[in-house]
Amino acid sequence: MNALRSRRFIMLGLAPAVLIYALFVFVPVVWSAYYGFFNWSGIGESKYIGLDNYVEIWHDSVFWRALKNNVIFVLASVFGQIPLALMLAVILHKSNPLQRFLRSAVFLPMVLSTVVIGMIWQYIYHPQIGILNFLLDALGLESWKLQWLSDDKIAIFSLVPPLLWSFVGLYLIIFISALQNIPGEIHDAAKIDGASGIRKLVSISLPMIWGTVQVAIILCISGSLKSFDLVYIMTKGGPAHATELLATYMYNSTFNTYRYGFGSAISTTIVLISLLLIGTSQWATSRKRKEN
Amino acid sequence: MPTPGNTSGHPVRQFRSGIVWTLLTVYGILTLYPFYWLVISAFKTNEDFYSRPFGLPEKWNVENFSNAWESSKLGTAFGNSLIVSVGSLIITLFIAALASFILARFQFRWKGLIMTFFVVGMLIPIHSTLVPLFILMKQMSLLNTYWALILPYTAFALPTAIFVLTAYLTSIPRDIEEAAFIDGTGLWGLFTRIMLPMSVPALSTVTILSFLHAWNDFSFALVFINKTGLKTLPLAIANFADGYQTDYGLTLAAMTLSVIPTIILYLVFQEQVMKGMTAGAVKG
Repeated sequence: MNALRSRRFIMLGLAPAVLIYALFVFVPVVWSAYYGFFNWSGIGESKYIGLDNYVEIWHDSVFWRALKNNVIFVLASVFGQIPLALMLAVILHKSNPLQRFLRSAVFLPMVLSTVVIGMIWQYIYHPQIGILNFLLDALGLESWKLQWLSDDKIAIFSLVPPLLWSFVGLYLIIFISALQNIPGEIHDAAKIDGASGIRKLVSISLPMIWGTVQVAIILCISGSLKSFDLVYIMTKGGPAHATELLATYMYNSTFNTYRYGFGSAISTTIVLISLLLIGTSQWATSRKRKEN
Repeated sequence: MPTPGNTSGHPVRQFRSGIVWTLLTVYGILTLYPFYWLVISAFKTNEDFYSRPFGLPEKWNVENFSNAWESSKLGTAFGNSLIVSVGSLIITLFIAALASFILARFQFRWKGLIMTFFVVGMLIPIHSTLVPLFILMKQMSLLNTYWALILPYTAFALPTAIFVLTAYLTSIPRDIEEAAFIDGTGLWGLFTRIMLPMSVPALSTVTILSFLHAWNDFSFALVFINKTGLKTLPLAIANFADGYQTDYGLTLAAMTLSVIPTIILYLVFQEQVMKGMTAGAVKG
């Protein structure tokens, strides 16, 4: 093969992917950092204000509330979805019809748009027509009835079940494929040694898929930081910022209060927080791997 | 491990696995109940909705569906979603496959850098690009066009697509391209006639991932599209629900109609969808 021709082929072949990707992913992130230094309403003049937006973010109670809510989502995902999915995976990793059926059922919400998921749960929680409150009535638990999404103390926690419902299937399938990759001989050897049931699970299966569990934790963290649609559909960040997330706060600042510069500064902060968190977890897991 | 086929033998074990399977069945029902509720409620009138929240409809109002289809302009939304999803899918498949072919089969100086460039992008949360992308699209006069969605969907699908495809293409033995060169096939021919057909399994994973992502996306459509005629399905459904807040049967009928295509797709391609999603998720 002619070296010059293959060089041209390499360049021309990579160009479309690199260009589209750079223009619509990379450039916006860099631009966002730049716009963060301006006071701009989206139309008319923009004014350079240095680090003022970032200083404002630092002192902004709504921003910290949003960050706290994001952390609640991260914790709820890591300690809700991962153990639940692990438990289900251990029981459902073989392939009889009932197991296949349950697996499909748990995974089904993954293929829906978050808009539909959010709307279904909005109906479930509705104070007058919601089936949750109807159910509590039917069970004689009237006193447990709540304003699930409009009470600022519980609204953020009401958003956790839909989050679990829609994503647990993903982790279930990830864990099942990890469990299925454990070579059969290892189970046979364990049987000969007399290990069974819980013992086999704790000392063989779990350690063997631990790497996958760590990947799932990273996915949970980055996934929770990306949450936007569900909350936007169900509460729009309200009541009174009680369910505000970093992404909804960014959206509201930019497109509802027309503070493009401030919104951009929040965007940049989100990128930095994500990179920091993912970097930390990568570092932690790779160190763990080295120790093993 | 307790399995239904394994219940014979010890009575304690049998009892334990009975409990596990009862709990699992309850969990399965809880998971599916929202779907069941959505579909049966879509046939109800408002009175029925209040008076029998868990029961079947008193009368099956099939006209809820035709009314919802008409008044929510669901047909247009379906068409728009199809155009942007298929459009970005075709571009993604083609340029990602070409780039992956090069990254997997050639040695050149910037290779590592370009791979890193794509990895870093996978860590960027989509929403943090909303504001600058909005400004960029405004300046390029792309807002309220199909391209405003096709291009970002493509851009965000690329990293995962390139990872899945590069991993797959790297595993194809060298002999194949040597044989092709001896037969006089050029680089382009090697790509289109040999590598593309050989990567069909990886391409189908990428297809499922990119299509579902584009079809279900809400945030890009929310920010870049506000012309009624261009609204995609999730956006149209969300807006419809805002407008017809108190007509429950109608809203739920619109929602039901909107989920039918992805549910059918899922039921038909179940195994691939699950595999595709996990491949994308683990790589992403």
